Amino acid sequence: MTLDITQVYSQIEAMAGELKSHQAEFARKLDTAVATLKTASANQSTLEKKLEKARATWLVAGLKEDMGLRRAAPACPPDFIVSASDGSHIDVDRHHSARLFLLNLGLVHIQYGSRPDAELTTVPKLYFGDDVIAIRSADGREELIQGPLLGIVRGVEECRCLADDVCASEAALPAVGLIDGSLIMWGLVGQRFEDYVIEYLLDKGLLQQLDRFYGLSKKRQAAVASYISFPRSTDVVNVLRLQVCPYDPVDCDRHCKGKFEGRECDAVGGLTDRAVFDRLLSEGERSALFVSTSSIIERYGVHRVCFFYVKLDSEVARVEVPLWVADKEQLLDLVHAVVVDQCKKGFGYPVTLSEAHEQAVVTGADRQQFWDLVDRVMQEGDLSVEQSLKQRSKKVRWI
Amino acid sequence: MDIDKIAEVVETSNSEFVAQCYELEGVPALGSMVKTRGKEGDIYGIVYTSATHSIEPGRRITARGHKAASDADIFKENPQLAKLLCSDFHALVVGHKHGKAVYQYLPPSPASVYAFVYSCKPDEVRLFTQSLNFLSLLLDSKLPVATDEVIAAFLRYASRAHPTPQDFLVGAGKELAWLLSNDIRRLDSILKRLTQ
Amino acid sequence: MTDSTQETRLGTIISGSLTAGVQVKMDPSRSVEDVAVGRYVAIKGEKKRFFGLITDVSLEAVDPHALVMPPDISDPFIAKVVSGTTTYGKLNILPMLTISGVAGAAGAPQPAKTVPSHFSEVELATQADVEMVFGKEDKRRFFIGNPLDMETKVCLDMEELVKRSNGIFGKSGTGKTFLTRLLLIGMLQKSRTTSLIFDMHNEYGWEGTSEKQTKVKGLKQLFPGKVAVFSLDEDYDRRRKVKSDFTVKIGYDEIEPEDIELLKNILNLTDVSVQTIYELARRFGDSKWLDSVFDLFDSGDRESVKGLDIAEGTWRNLKRGLSMLRRLKFLVRHAPEDAVSTILDYVTNGKSVVLQFGGYDDLTAYVLVANLLTRRIFNVYREKVDIASSADIKMPDQLVITIEEAHRFLSPDIAAQTTFGRIAREMRKYNVTMLVIDQRPSGIDEEVMSQLGTKITCLLDNERDVDAVLTGVSGKSELKSVLSKLESKQQALIFGHALPMPVVVRVRDYGSAESYKELGPAGASEGGKKDKADDLWE
Repeated sequence: MTLDITQVYSQIEAMAGELKSHQAEFARKLDTAVATLKTASANQSTLEKKLEKARATWLVAGLKEDMGLRRAAPACPPDFIVSASDGSHIDVDRHHSARLFLLNLGLVHIQYGSRPDAELTTVPKLYFGDDVIAIRSADGREELIQGPLLGIVRGVEECRCLADDVCASEAALPAVGLIDGSLIMWGLVGQRFEDYVIEYLLDKGLLQQLDRFYGLSKKRQAAVASYISFPRSTDVVNVLRLQVCPYDPVDCDRHCKGKFEGRECDAVGGLTDRAVFDRLLSEGERSALFVSTSSIIERYGVHRVCFFYVKLDSEVARVEVPLWVADKEQLLDLVHAVVVDQCKKGFGYPVTLSEAHEQAVVTGADRQQFWDLVDRVMQEGDLSVEQSLKQRSKKVRWI
Repeated sequence: MDIDKIAEVVETSNSEFVAQCYELEGVPALGSMVKTRGKEGDIYGIVYTSATHSIEPGRRITARGHKAASDADIFKENPQLAKLLCSDFHALVVGHKHGKAVYQYLPPSPASVYAFVYSCKPDEVRLFTQSLNFLSLLLDSKLPVATDEVIAAFLRYASRAHPTPQDFLVGAGKELAWLLSNDIRRLDSILKRLTQ
Repeated sequence: MTDSTQETRLGTIISGSLTAGVQVKMDPSRSVEDVAVGRYVAIKGEKKRFFGLITDVSLEAVDPHALVMPPDISDPFIAKVVSGTTTYGKLNILPMLTISGVAGAAGAPQPAKTVPSHFSEVELATQADVEMVFGKEDKRRFFIGNPLDMETKVCLDMEELVKRSNGIFGKSGTGKTFLTRLLLIGMLQKSRTTSLIFDMHNEYGWEGTSEKQTKVKGLKQLFPGKVAVFSLDEDYDRRRKVKSDFTVKIGYDEIEPEDIELLKNILNLTDVSVQTIYELARRFGDSKWLDSVFDLFDSGDRESVKGLDIAEGTWRNLKRGLSMLRRLKFLVRHAPEDAVSTILDYVTNGKSVVLQFGGYDDLTAYVLVANLLTRRIFNVYREKVDIASSADIKMPDQLVITIEEAHRFLSPDIAAQTTFGRIAREMRKYNVTMLVIDQRPSGIDEEVMSQLGTKITCLLDNERDVDAVLTGVSGKSELKSVLSKLESKQQALIFGHALPMPVVVRVRDYGSAESYKELGPAGASEGGKKDKADDLWE
C-alpha cells in the first residue's frame, strides 16, 4: 500500500542518535588522518618506496605530486569554451516484444568571454535491429545491450557526442569537455564481461573518443575531464593506511588476515578521501594529483586516469583527467580553473553538466509517451505488438 | 527576413492569443496594440500581460547577481541563461481586418499558431481608434490582471498616435462615461489614470 | 444638409407627453446656463417640425451616486469628460404647434396634437421659425415685443384681438400701464376700432409718466387727429395747463340705484340701505331720487324721513355714504351737456375718447363714472345694433372700453349685474368689447376670465392670481413656471386668441424718439421699416 511514515519515524530518529555518537570518533580519526598526511608528505620518498613493495587488499592511489600539495585555483582565460554532455536512456522493455532502446543525449556548449554564447541541444537516438542491440564477437557470441551494459554504452556515446562538439569548436579558443561521473569504467572491472565486450566498450569505445581529445590537444588548448560529486573513493586514505602500517613490507594477507578492525591502519579507517581533503583544502584549492591503480586502468595506455580533489563552496569533488592532461601544466590548470568557475556559476555543481543533464532527462511521462508511440506506429504498420500481462496490470491500477 | 516581427503565436483562442518573443527584452508595452494573422486576415490585439520565465515549467530562475555589477553582466557570464529563458505576452483580441475593412469585434477564427506578431505602427493605431466600439469588449473582459490598468495604458498609448492626444482622451473619457454610467467609482479611477 | 449647427442644437427628446410636455436631454456641449425658461425651441420630428416653449430646466445624473460622490472635477480633464455624460442638463418643453415638413416650407402652423418621436433633435428657434409662427409685421399685425434672446418681432393680430374682450395683468410696477398704452396705440394703428378709455391716473390722454419719472407721450400726442381727451376735473386741467376737448359733468338725474349698488362696499352702505335706495327711486322716480334725497339731507326734514318709513340707522348710513358723493364736483344737479351723447358723437365718428379723472383718482369716482357711462353707452349701442341688423344699414363701429381696477367691476358677486359683466359675456354681439387691466385677477369672476380672448400678463407673485390668469389654459402648470420666472419689468407672457401660441416677450421700447416715430400714424402700414412713400409724408 503506502509507506507508513509514522512507523519509520522512530527508526529514523534512532539512526540520527547513533550517527551523533559516531561523529566524535569520526572527528578524532580525521585529525589523525590529516596529521598522517602531513607526515607522509614530509617523508614522501620513503612512502613511495613502501608503496612499491606493498601488497595491500585495498585500492591505493599512485603518487604523482607531493601529497600535501595545495594549489589555488588559477584564473580562467579571457575567452574559453566549456562543453558537457550527459545522457539518459529508455531501456529495452521485457514486456514489449519490440526490441529496441533509446538513448537521449544532452549536449551543452557555452562560450565565455567577449562573445558570450550558448547552445543547448538534445539528441535522441533509437537503436533497434539485431546487429545494433547486441555486442557481438567475431565468433558469434553476443551480449545484449540492456541494463547496466546499456548504461556503459550510453557513457561511450556521451563521450563521442562531447568529442564531436569540442573538435568542431573554434580552434583559437581554449576548450574543456566535461563528463559526469568517472572516466574509469568500473562496470567492466571484475571480469563480469568477456573480452570482446570490454574491447567494444573500452578500446573501440571510450578510448577511441579520448584519442580524439588527445589529438586535438596537440593542436590547441583542449582538455577532457570528468567530475564526480560527493565521491566515496578512499584511494588516498588507503595510502595513509599504508603510511600508518607498522609492517614493512606491507602485507595484509600475512599480518592481518581475517581482521577487520583493531588494526593499526584502522586509525584512519572509515574515512573518505573527501573528508580528509575537506579539512586540508581551502575553497577553490586542488589537492595533489594522484594516479588510479584500478586494474582496468592497465588498458588505458596514454589515457591512464589521474585524479585530484578540489574544494568547492559546498563540497569536495573528485576530478579525473587522462595522463596527458595531468602532465601538461597548462591543461591541468585550465581544467582546475574551469571546474571551480563552473561550480560557482552552477551553485555548487558545474553548470554545463547540470544543463546537459536537464537536456537529457526523460520523464516517466516521456517514457510512456514513447512506448505508446512505438505501439501505435507498429500497429499502423500491421506489425504485431505483444504486451505481457504484467505490464497490462501495471498500466491500470485496479482494486 | 522580416525584421519587424517581434513574436510568434504559441497559444490561441477566439478571444486572445499568447505569443513568444524572439528577444528576451522584446516584449511590447502593456496596453500597446499588436497585429497577427488569422484565417480571414489580420487580427488586432491589446497586450494585457507579459512575462519572462524559464522555458521549462519545473525550473525557477534564481538570483545570480550578488557579485555582478549589472544584470547585463549576469547574462554575459552565464550565456546559457538566454537559452533557458523566454518572454511571452498575452493579447486580448479587439478587432480584425477583412479585405480593406476593419471590424471592431471578434473574428470568426482565432489567430493561427506560429503566426508572426508585429507591433502596430502609429498610423494603424490611429485608424483603428477612430472608433472606440470595442471599449465595451475591454471593459467586460475578465483578465487575470487589473483590467482598468490595461484600459488606461491602452488609451494613453493610443492617444500618442493622434495629432491632438488630449482631445482623443477626452473623447475616450466620454465614451467610458456612457459605458460606466452606473459605476462612477470605476470611471473616476480610470480617468485619473488618463491624466498624464 | 442639416439646419442645426453647433450653436443652435440643444439636445434630443427622451420622454414626455402632450399634456405635460416633453423632456430633452441636453447635448454635452451645451451648458444649462445657456438656456432660459420661456425661450422658443424648434423640434425636428420624424415628419413634422414642432414649435414649443422651454418651461423648465433641471440637472440630472446618470447615476445618483455621482451626485453624492462626484468625480474629481477639480481636474479639468475629468470635468470635461463628465459634463454631458455622467451629468447632463434636462429641459422640459411644451410643444404647442406643428409645422409640417422642413423649416421655411409653406403651411400654417397647427396646434400640436401629438408629440415628436424619441430622440428628435431639438434646437433653438430661428428668426424664420418665429416669423412663420407669429407672422410678420403688417397692416393688421402690431409689433408688441421680442421673444427672449431674439431680435425677431412678435406681432399680435389686432383684428383678431379686438374680436373679444382682453386682459392685461401684473402686480403693481410691472408695466401694465405701458402695455396698455402700447396696445391702445396698436388698435389705433392697425384696427378699425375706437376706444373709450377710463383713465383713472391720467396716463393715457396727453402724456404719462415713466418709471424713471420722465414724461412720455400719450395717445393724443401720437394720434392727434384720432384721439380726444375728456376730463372730469377742470381744476386739474388748469393746474396742468392742458386743454381738454370736453369737460364731463354728470347730473344727479343720471344716477340710478344700480350705480350706487356697485359702490356699496366703497361707500360702506348696508344691504338695507341699498334696498332703501331702490324704494326711494320707486318713490321719487329714477331721475329725481338722488336730488330728492340730497334735499332731504340738507333740509334735515325729519318728518318726511319718517314718512318714508326708513329706520334711523339706515338713514344715517345712507346719509354718510351718499354724502361722499357730494364732494365730487363733477356731480351736479343737472349736467349742462349730456356727456354720454357727446362721447357717442365722437366715437361714432371714429374718434377715440380718453376720459381723464384728474384729481378724482379714487375708487368712488372711478367706479361710479365708469359704470354709469358705460351702462348708458352700451344701451345705446345695443339699440343701434338691433336697428342696423333689422334695417340692413351700416353697423356702428367696434368700440373697445378700457377699464382699470377691473376686479371692482367684475368680482364674482357683482359680475352678473354690472354692464361690464354683460359686455364680457355677450362678446361682440353688440360690437362692444373690453380691455380690462388689473393687478388682482383672482378678484375677477372666473367666467369673465374665461371669456377674455387674449391675456397679457406681467409678473404675478400671488399664487391665486396666477391660477386665475391661467384658468382653462392648456399647459397651465408649465406656463405657471414660465410666468413665475418673468422679470419684474418689461417682460410679459402673452397667450390667447390673438396668438398661435403663448409667448414671453421683452416688451418693445416706448419713450424714445425712435419709438414715437414707429408708433405714430406713420408706422401704421408696417412700422419699423419705412418705404419711400412714407418718407414723403414725414
